[in-house]
Amino acid sequence: MNDEILLLLLKDMFPLEIVNVDTSSDMLTLEISKTAIYKVLAYLKNPLDFIYLTSLCGIHYPERELPLGVVYHLHNLYDNKRLRLKVFLSDEDPHIKSCVGIFSAANWMERETFDFYGIIFDGHPNLIRILNVEYMDYHPMRKEYPLEDSTRTDKDDKFFGR
Amino acid sequence: MQPFEAEHKIINPEDFEKNFSTLNLGPTHPATHGIFQNILTMNGETIEDAVQTIGYIHRAFEKIAERRPYYQITPLTDRLNYCSAPINNLGWHMTVEKLLGVKSTKRIDYMRIIVMELARIADHLICNSVIGVDSGALTGFVYMFEKREMIYDIYEEICGARLTSNLGRIGGFERDFTPSVIQKIRELLVELPKTINQFENLLMRNRIFMDRTINVGSISAERALNYSFSGPCLRAAGVDYDVRVMNPYSSYEDFDFTIPLGINGDTYDRFCVRQEEIKQSLRLIKSALENLPQGAYHMDVPEFYLPPKEKVYSEMESLIWHFKIVMGEINVPVGEVYHAVEGGNGELGFYLVSDGGRTPFRLHFRRPGFIYYQAFPEMIKGSVLSDAILTMSSMNVIAGELDA
Repeated sequence: MNDEILLLLLKDMFPLEIVNVDTSSDMLTLEISKTAIYKVLAYLKNPLDFIYLTSLCGIHYPERELPLGVVYHLHNLYDNKRLRLKVFLSDEDPHIKSCVGIFSAANWMERETFDFYGIIFDGHPNLIRILNVEYMDYHPMRKEYPLEDSTRTDKDDKFFGR
Repeated sequence: MQPFEAEHKIINPEDFEKNFSTLNLGPTHPATHGIFQNILTMNGETIEDAVQTIGYIHRAFEKIAERRPYYQITPLTDRLNYCSAPINNLGWHMTVEKLLGVKSTKRIDYMRIIVMELARIADHLICNSVIGVDSGALTGFVYMFEKREMIYDIYEEICGARLTSNLGRIGGFERDFTPSVIQKIRELLVELPKTINQFENLLMRNRIFMDRTINVGSISAERALNYSFSGPCLRAAGVDYDVRVMNPYSSYEDFDFTIPLGINGDTYDRFCVRQEEIKQSLRLIKSALENLPQGAYHMDVPEFYLPPKEKVYSEMESLIWHFKIVMGEINVPVGEVYHAVEGGNGELGFYLVSDGGRTPFRLHFRRPGFIYYQAFPEMIKGSVLSDAILTMSSMNVIAGELDA
């Protein structure tokens, strides 16, 4: 199965739900609308044999209209084909359907994404923080929480000269 | 007593007190080899349910990486799976090279294969000897550790460090293999198979060991795939997925090696798969060492590879590059890559998004241990406590990798 056939099959099934197609990076990258992601994942798993969820992570583009993103990497082990899906969500409504029902592995990956980006996965069996402490009240991987700039000059430290 | 809230079901408090007791295994327990907490619901000696708590050594590497120039991220990757740190280092370098679009030479590839296979052996030696320890056979552990020491001596000879190696550079290696490195690897190739044989004689057909490990913590191929297992844990369940074969990187396609498979996905199969992988790794090292091509040990990427010190002192251009690299003032082209390598315990992936700045815009580590450890409750349900300990050590869950 090559990119063109896969894309044809998906476009035939989901003509409106595929928002954007990008073939410039290392693997076929599709942007899916957030209402359709569960259906697309289920269809990709069966019958298209993308049975392996390689990774699921969040991403944050603060200046975009839909700033929060979820990135799925899928792998078809039979044809050795990788695929990247992206879903973008707004700040006000960071809800997306959980895919634990399709891939059990998504459980902790979604918890991690919730923990760091505050993306809420509807239908997740146990959506609580996983790596950070439970009483933390913000989502630290968002870009509005910068780390200290290593080149800042406003600190006065006579030993290290900055 | 508080009602016990497991991940999927809530046990009625009265029933709970009548039948079950709660046991905290961890966070610091000598048998768990790392900071893991498992809250077990016990029915007598049998485990009814388990809830894991992780994140005790979370160090926010993904966040830190967004502030660091690319070469300073290598030491962060050391601390993921610290039992096979060079694989993480070289995997990260290959990811950046993939983003930059530079193609490494055969000599670099073969040198990388040698280092990565040494790291895999070190990883598997620890894991398998620890399975022995947890089932009551301490002797093998001591013998295997002596040989792991030889591998760490080789690391030391290559890069100067032992555990957290920071080995290699973006674009190749910091220095060529010295004759002493080659000699030490040859010594290892002679010495290690003897110890492996002794170790296998001790455990492989040992009645006690077999009784303790066969059908303990088993998982079917379907469930393992659904949980996105990778590495020896997946192959023990009978799925022949190995990144080195499926998506060859660093010229693995030049070599002839076999991928061992298990049948039942239990602790014994995982042990045997790792044991065979050590032998295959030795085979790879031997063949890479014999066919090691001549040539440069680094590529021509002046934006990332530090120039030699003598040139920095004598040539203007080298001085400029040296300054720009050390200060992290090199802008990386815009792009998005996912690169996976076969780490010590599975597919170690790097998802890197660059917006053209000096640091990554987003870097996500696909840590195999984090993903497959969530299947642990399913694997130990219905077994006894001592089997849970064995299952955990045979999954080779490394705390550093789990918590990133």
